[in-house]
Amino acid sequence: MRCGTTGSSNKKYGIEISQKEAEELRNAIRATSIKVMEEYIERMKKTWPNRPEAMQYFYDVAKFFGTREREIQKAKEEGRKVIGYTCMFTPIELILAADAIPVRVSSGFYDPVKLGNRIVPVEVCPVVRSTIGVEMIGLSPYLELSDALITPLTCDGMTKLSEILSDRKPVWILHPPRLKDSDQSMFFWIEELRTLKAKIERLTGTRIIAKKLKAAIEVMHKATRAFRRLQEIRKGAPVIMGRDAMLVNQTSMWDDIERWTRKTEELCNELEKRIQEKAWACPPETPRVMIAGSPTIWPDNWKLPNIIEEASPQGVIVADELCSGDRFLFDPVGVDEWTMNDMFKAVAERYLLPSTCPCFTSEDGNKDRVNWLTARIKERQVDGVIYHVFRGCMLYAMEYMRIKRVLEKINVPVYYLDTDYTREDVGQIKTRVEAFLEMLKSRAEF
Amino acid sequence: MLLEVVSEALKLIIFAGLALAGILAILIWRKDRKTKVSCLRFFVQAVATTAFFFIFSYTAQLLIILVVIFALSIFLGRFFCGWLCPFGLYLDLVTAVRKALKIRYWNLPDKVNKFLNKLRYVLLLFFIALPFILERIEPWQWSLAKFLMGPFKPISVLLGPVEPLVVPWESSLKLYGMNLSYPYASIIAFYSGENLAIITISIFIGLTLASSFAVRRFWCRFCPTGVSFAVLNRFKIFQRIPLLRLNKVEEKCTKCGICKRVCPAQVTDVYEEKGGDITTSMCMLCLRCIEMCPYEDCLKLNMAGKTLFRSRNWLEPSKIE
Amino acid sequence: MIVAGLDMGVQNVKVVLLKDGEILSHGMAPSSFEPEKAVEQVFQEALKRAGIAYNDIAHVAATGVGVELAPHVDSKISVVSADAKAAVYLYPSARTVIDIGAEESRVIKCDENGTVLDFALNERCAAGAGVFLEAMARALEVKLEDMGRLSLKARGTTSISATCVIFGESDVVSLIHKQEPKHEIARAIYDALAERIVLMIHRVGLKPDVVLVGGVAKDVGFAAALKRKLETEILIPQNPEYAGALGAALYAMENLRGDKNGRRQL
Repeated sequence: MRCGTTGSSNKKYGIEISQKEAEELRNAIRATSIKVMEEYIERMKKTWPNRPEAMQYFYDVAKFFGTREREIQKAKEEGRKVIGYTCMFTPIELILAADAIPVRVSSGFYDPVKLGNRIVPVEVCPVVRSTIGVEMIGLSPYLELSDALITPLTCDGMTKLSEILSDRKPVWILHPPRLKDSDQSMFFWIEELRTLKAKIERLTGTRIIAKKLKAAIEVMHKATRAFRRLQEIRKGAPVIMGRDAMLVNQTSMWDDIERWTRKTEELCNELEKRIQEKAWACPPETPRVMIAGSPTIWPDNWKLPNIIEEASPQGVIVADELCSGDRFLFDPVGVDEWTMNDMFKAVAERYLLPSTCPCFTSEDGNKDRVNWLTARIKERQVDGVIYHVFRGCMLYAMEYMRIKRVLEKINVPVYYLDTDYTREDVGQIKTRVEAFLEMLKSRAEF
Repeated sequence: MLLEVVSEALKLIIFAGLALAGILAILIWRKDRKTKVSCLRFFVQAVATTAFFFIFSYTAQLLIILVVIFALSIFLGRFFCGWLCPFGLYLDLVTAVRKALKIRYWNLPDKVNKFLNKLRYVLLLFFIALPFILERIEPWQWSLAKFLMGPFKPISVLLGPVEPLVVPWESSLKLYGMNLSYPYASIIAFYSGENLAIITISIFIGLTLASSFAVRRFWCRFCPTGVSFAVLNRFKIFQRIPLLRLNKVEEKCTKCGICKRVCPAQVTDVYEEKGGDITTSMCMLCLRCIEMCPYEDCLKLNMAGKTLFRSRNWLEPSKIE
Repeated sequence: MIVAGLDMGVQNVKVVLLKDGEILSHGMAPSSFEPEKAVEQVFQEALKRAGIAYNDIAHVAATGVGVELAPHVDSKISVVSADAKAAVYLYPSARTVIDIGAEESRVIKCDENGTVLDFALNERCAAGAGVFLEAMARALEVKLEDMGRLSLKARGTTSISATCVIFGESDVVSLIHKQEPKHEIARAIYDALAERIVLMIHRVGLKPDVVLVGGVAKDVGFAAALKRKLETEILIPQNPEYAGALGAALYAMENLRGDKNGRRQL
């Protein structure tokens, strides 16, 4: 399964790594990651000692190399297919309608970046470098179990990543247009999805008929509903700490979506009770922070959320504009008539039009993203925004000025935090975040 | 005599009572937010059609009916088209049949749709001018009564859609002794003459029903009556008058495009306009866009500033409102 | 009421003692591998100067990069907030504070109460801080204390890159080989640093009056370069390296008085 030095000659990017080294690294990083995940979960538990029972499920699912991997393995043995995806543009309903299992394979591990650096320069987005490294040594269980990968070409990094990954797995490239607001774009996007649908049908051997698509859409409706319920709860005084909510959001990307929905509804039930009892997770005056920008993928990227919620003064993350967080299940598929034609169009529109990814551009300056941010800030009473950008992420970095001007107008401070897939800058980030939180606190006091 | 009046009044009261009961029932029992208002609208359309039938059987004083409808629409915009028009009900029934058969609908290309929207003004003028062209009525012979009275006079094209299916006067279509009609049927019969009437009317019925099977509310896109409600809106001075206005909150809009897709009249303004007042003259106020918008308080139907209906997160089932 | 403000800097630990809102004394010692010893040392110095004992101090607040290592403190505050408080205390008209430390530089926008409105820190690399000057002085083979006065003689005929310490160093060496006079190179060095600082200021916005603090503020060469680039007057207090400690001490006083809810930090 690992590519050795022989047979790499016909690979485009020739990932040279010996089987022995790959295995050693895999075991080493696996062990570190397991420790890191346990540590972070302990830290989350420590900050929120009176958390509800329902959270335990999410802690369990969050641990990679565990039960979920075995579940998917078993499903594969029973004949089901696993389709991985790197980006949120992938229509999950199509995958579910073909009885396949969708899993997100963007990597959140820091250590494989060193391996990715062998193939691409260090200036490249760290998510991409890490995913390359992960593939080289077969670290991610979900990536390994995938029968095919869907890679939307959203940014330059993602574009080339799909080539690199295609050396070892079948890659289906999806091309979302960079301009949303035109008929040609919609037409093109629908055609792209039609091609994708055919590929999915061919892989799984299941035809995606109207009945199945309807069932898949309804499953996702339920998931979106549970998701929105959780976001509603975060509007008021904090009954759930931000990191835990972010974890709940992220686990939906690789967990069995129906079970996830049930468990999230249970969690929301408990949290709503707590609102009545006023059992806050942290003092209501805690500065309310929103993270916007490059996605913070579990586990290693909990670096920043950890710092925010363990700093003194403490902050609580009440919202985020991350494709690994509050953006994932926010928009529902609005079906008018349950015919294949309308359902397919509805799915296509849902994944393209409301997206706030900075890969879009428009004459009004990606106003959709600006509106989304402003609406969330107002509805969740956000005190300050931390604009989290990875080194090499051109799109988010360039939109910073736009966002800053808009937020200045509504008098919300925003701090540009640039970081990388490394643990070395924890001290620096801490200084900055603590200064920012102190600023938010003293603003609130005046 | 008194007994007659009382029994008629009683019939009216019972009718009104049933209508109200039906409306309340739908509002309470229909939990699915995505279809509640559509159901309600269907029901109100049925009630209105029945009401029109009764009105026609009592009086052919179409003048009064026309005046009432027009007065309403000055204040309600094209509310008539979406909620009261019998022709609209028939077209919606055709759509319902299509939906039940799980057949897809077709959209007109945007340019064609916009062209038809402009065309309707010309059509209105044409239909109003036609009798002058054909009958060569001298202007001074023309009286208000002739203009509006009776279904036989071709100038009452504005009342075309309101013609009920069973009429109390002589019509070209007869079935078991009942005089049948169809929107615009008497006008077509008048112009076609005795012999061709049935053929032309049948063609008209076939065309309108078939086209609306494929394209939702096809007739409504160039209906002269519809445009006559909207014609006031073309002039900026009158744009403030219709009390029912659609409003959009820019920030909450994610440009998801659902409103554009579900609109039976293919109105794109709701999607394209940034925010604020987005009422347009093509909109039939069927409120499907507000019903299907999945973001709370993004789209609103306002009457003189007060919000009558707002978009909700329809993923949640509705509680009684 | 006597309070103390402790600044655990990268190179030096500083302390400022305040009595009833007036500066009583101060002390400084190099940070070392044993922060406890350094803190003890500075306190000894300051207490001796003031003629009081440690137990006379009612509240000790700490700040600085190494604040986690400070023993026995009653409360903590970030350097950003401390700098703002100190600047407004020294110059009530201060609205923009520039703090250039050994490894970290900051630009802070504040209001008349010393509340921070916005701030920016040098990102990740120390090319915008004191160590840049140290490395350049080494490359130029002059003493850091002398480089400032040397640069004042120059007219500004040359420049070096300000991206990175390493690049800067090689620029300096190549200029020496080209036989550029030392005072011109010195001025170029300060101009490069000032450029970087000006970029940071743009992220936050410049509002007069501008106050310059931190160890590097003592360097006349840098102060002149910054004044040139900003084209505005810059206020530099005496002992600018004590700004952080002073801010911490002011915070300690607020805590005692119960000004800011009297709440102690966690």
